[in-house]
Amino acid sequence: MALAAHPTHPQPRVPGQPDMWFFILFEAFLFTSYFIVYMVCRVQDPATFLQSQQLLSLPIGVFNTLILLVSSWSMARCVQASRDHHYPAALNGAYLTIAFGLCFAALKVLEWTLEFDKGIGITTNEYFSFYFFLTGMHFLHLLIGFIFLGIVVAQLRRGHQRSQTLVETSATYWHMVDFLWINIFALLYVVR
Amino acid sequence: MSVTAVDPAPAGGGLSRWRNHPKFELWLAFWTMIVFYNFFFILFFAYTRVQPPPEPAWAIPRVLEWFTSHRFNLLSGFAIVFLVTGLTGAANALIAYSMRRMSVSPAFAHAYLVIYALSAVPGMLLTCIAITVAAMRPERDPQVIAWLYDFAFMAFDGTMGVFLIGSLVWMVAILLDKNRVFPKWFAYLNLCNALTEVVVAPAWMFTEGVFAWDGAITWWIDVAVFMIYTTVFITLLRNMIIREDFSDGPLPD
Repeated sequence: MALAAHPTHPQPRVPGQPDMWFFILFEAFLFTSYFIVYMVCRVQDPATFLQSQQLLSLPIGVFNTLILLVSSWSMARCVQASRDHHYPAALNGAYLTIAFGLCFAALKVLEWTLEFDKGIGITTNEYFSFYFFLTGMHFLHLLIGFIFLGIVVAQLRRGHQRSQTLVETSATYWHMVDFLWINIFALLYVVR
Repeated sequence: MSVTAVDPAPAGGGLSRWRNHPKFELWLAFWTMIVFYNFFFILFFAYTRVQPPPEPAWAIPRVLEWFTSHRFNLLSGFAIVFLVTGLTGAANALIAYSMRRMSVSPAFAHAYLVIYALSAVPGMLLTCIAITVAAMRPERDPQVIAWLYDFAFMAFDGTMGVFLIGSLVWMVAILLDKNRVFPKWFAYLNLCNALTEVVVAPAWMFTEGVFAWDGAITWWIDVAVFMIYTTVFITLLRNMIIREDFSDGPLPD
């Protein structure tokens, strides 16, 4: 039997819309170019960058990284539950992701406020220009992420016309927010 | 039922044949847009050399020297810019047409037209006027010329944010559209472009370094994105005209 001899395999595909992966690739190139410029500036003045880096709160940075990582985990659980048609569990995962996202945002604002109180601002020196620029741009991506999380919740709450593709597209965006933060965290807080 | 693209060869010859072509107006708008962008890049980058922008940290004598050495090119180049600025209308109209061809509300096209028509003032014309005024009378008070220099380049490089909402309007229209006028990845490219408009904001706080108006991040990377974005949307508008069948439904491939 021809069919038995050549079983059909599902077409390999990326989660969500391939268009979102194009966006992520483009954003990755864009942020990579920012990181390269940062590294070039750092090489030119390593002492200032190192001294300024020590003024950041590493515990807050680590805690925020953990929060975003856990939010990606809850998002992944949401997608898996949605694939299995367990929509109440998927909704819980989405709400949990929103909660973790809000925690990250609140902590980031608190961290910025503490830095402003110390007299540190975007014009303090080149390191802090990069710090506020990169974390600010990431924060903007995070805020857009809440729109995508809203789309996930709206899809999961719908009756029979849920779009699994939209859920996965939004989840892909959220993972990008996490991915960008890990790079920014490593570069600004950790790399000596 | 499959729909085929309308691209017949009308009877007649020469001008009459062109005029009766069903896509004549669309191609006219498209080529007007191409002519405008050619003028824009040649005049701003090669002829007047205001792009890439000179340094914001220059002392007043260096600014005066720049105006003196570029005087003829600045005056004659921007005279041409003032003549051809109106051609942007064709580009904006074609983009608005793309949104009218979508299944979304005409409000998107109207919002885009209004935003981009107004954005040309701070985004381009104010720069040209300020530089022309400064170059016109080299004997003017150096402080005033330095003020015009800052004003001109901040107007051009610092007000990119006015284009942000326009890009987002186009993005939302594409995401909601069911007529497949543009691929969804182009909607996300609009988001990338909109985000780079935000990147320009630090230029208001720095006179040197990567965040100044001529900086690696605020100018060079942003311009690279703008070039990619412009090339992509011109190509996609061309494809849209080729695919146009003048119906209300999805555009054929």
